[in-house]
Amino acid sequence: MDLVRDNPLELLIRKIRTHHPLTVEDQKRILDLPFKVRTLEPQAYSIREGDRPERCDILLSGFAFRHKLTGDGSRQIMAIHIPGEALDFQNLFLEESDHNVQMLTRAVVAQIPRDALEKLVLENPNVGRAVLVFTLVEASIFREWVLNIGRRDARSRIAHLLCEFAYRVNAQGLAPSGIYELPMTQEQLADATGLTPVHVNRVLQALQRDGLMERDRRIIRFVDWDAMREVGDFNARYLHAREFQGGLIHLG
Amino acid sequence: MKRGVREVSPRTVITRRDRRLDQSSFLDPVLRRWGRTVSLTDQDKEALAALPWTRRVYPRDAYLAREGEPTSICTVLLGGFAFRQKLVSDGARQIISFHIPGEFLDLQNCLLDVADHNVQALNRASVAAIPKAALLDLMTARANIRRAIWLDTLIDSSIFREWVVNLGRRDARGRIAHLLCELADRLRAAGIAEGEACDFPLTQEQIADATGLTAVHTNRTLQALRKDGVISLTSSRLVILDWNRLVEIGDFNERYLHHSV
Repeated sequence: MDLVRDNPLELLIRKIRTHHPLTVEDQKRILDLPFKVRTLEPQAYSIREGDRPERCDILLSGFAFRHKLTGDGSRQIMAIHIPGEALDFQNLFLEESDHNVQMLTRAVVAQIPRDALEKLVLENPNVGRAVLVFTLVEASIFREWVLNIGRRDARSRIAHLLCEFAYRVNAQGLAPSGIYELPMTQEQLADATGLTPVHVNRVLQALQRDGLMERDRRIIRFVDWDAMREVGDFNARYLHAREFQGGLIHLG
Repeated sequence: MKRGVREVSPRTVITRRDRRLDQSSFLDPVLRRWGRTVSLTDQDKEALAALPWTRRVYPRDAYLAREGEPTSICTVLLGGFAFRQKLVSDGARQIISFHIPGEFLDLQNCLLDVADHNVQALNRASVAAIPKAALLDLMTARANIRRAIWLDTLIDSSIFREWVVNLGRRDARGRIAHLLCELADRLRAAGIAEGEACDFPLTQEQIADATGLTAVHTNRTLQALRKDGVISLTSSRLVILDWNRLVEIGDFNERYLHHSV
């Protein structure tokens, strides 16, 4: 892995390799992509609904989320993103963005021009396939969110969201201690689960009272992962994680 | 979709000669859709036409793919409707999307090893089943086709996101109106709807499972839309009497369908 040291796109490669193998040549091609590193403040937009996508931001540190507003102004969050993930692969080849991508926290991103990325994935079939798999896994996560909001009760929805977050953070090797920082307010959790903030608050309290998790503001520790997974009806199959990166760290 | 559709049972292999005769019925709707977004060369079209495929016909509710099972084919819907669904552990069903002729039902399965959801025929449905290895080879060989297929999956994704919004932040009336707008709009774009009328084989239970509502609530909401003169819905036929009103109730903005990428 010496090859990828000192290039921030290393993180993206690590993420892609959780789903699809990349040869050394493929990795070099990704590392050769042009990019600019930018720091974005909390609430800053990576892209807004209706914008023409000109670049793809790779999240290097911090957290981001996708959302849409309804006609009456209420907000629905559709995905949370963690370091190493691409924020705009969903907009590749599309003329205008159909949703907003905003920073949850202060974040550092590597901005890749869209033209360079499109050229890479069209000219190189294996890199193309790897990036396509990445977007397909994202699509699978959207499907699971349809299910989560459509058919699970409030307690399950929140537990499911927490399980997914922990699992993904773990798969990226970002929480070796089993402690997670979930940088979301109760209002944002409500917007991600189709609930009210009051309801979210009540559920979080109950999950702690029942001994499933501990929480200190944004810091979460799972006390009983198996029970939490059961409450959340969480089955990681939809995340399609494969073990090319040397296995997943076990959740404690 | 009538032309060239010969009903054969699943797993019947159509000979190469037959396939040539039948090619147009498989390719036309796909090419028409892709033609809006990608310019395919003659070589691209020839490569597509050379794909091996078999026609399969499924009765109503039959499974085309099951969650957890390994996948070996990708399917294009030729006739009829289909839907994707997932179950929660207590057995409740959530429909994730509906599909109309000319659409791929499971493109993700050509790259993901195991199906993460179920695909079912909504009514009698005929599909072209393509071995996924052949489709992958084609995508590797031809960048235009890779782009077209990719675009399809990105638009699928956009529709899933909109459904998250629909379930999470719209009331019952809004959710159902949005679903009706989406289906009517997609059928129109595919050239399948006739003006404001279209085939609409969804049951109330399926509408309920797609909108996260109960069957009773769905029934009441559809009745209200009828009573208000917005739609007419009788025996598998939907007529939208007041499109602007339905769009307003459903908070529908077609941007997410990316018709003209």
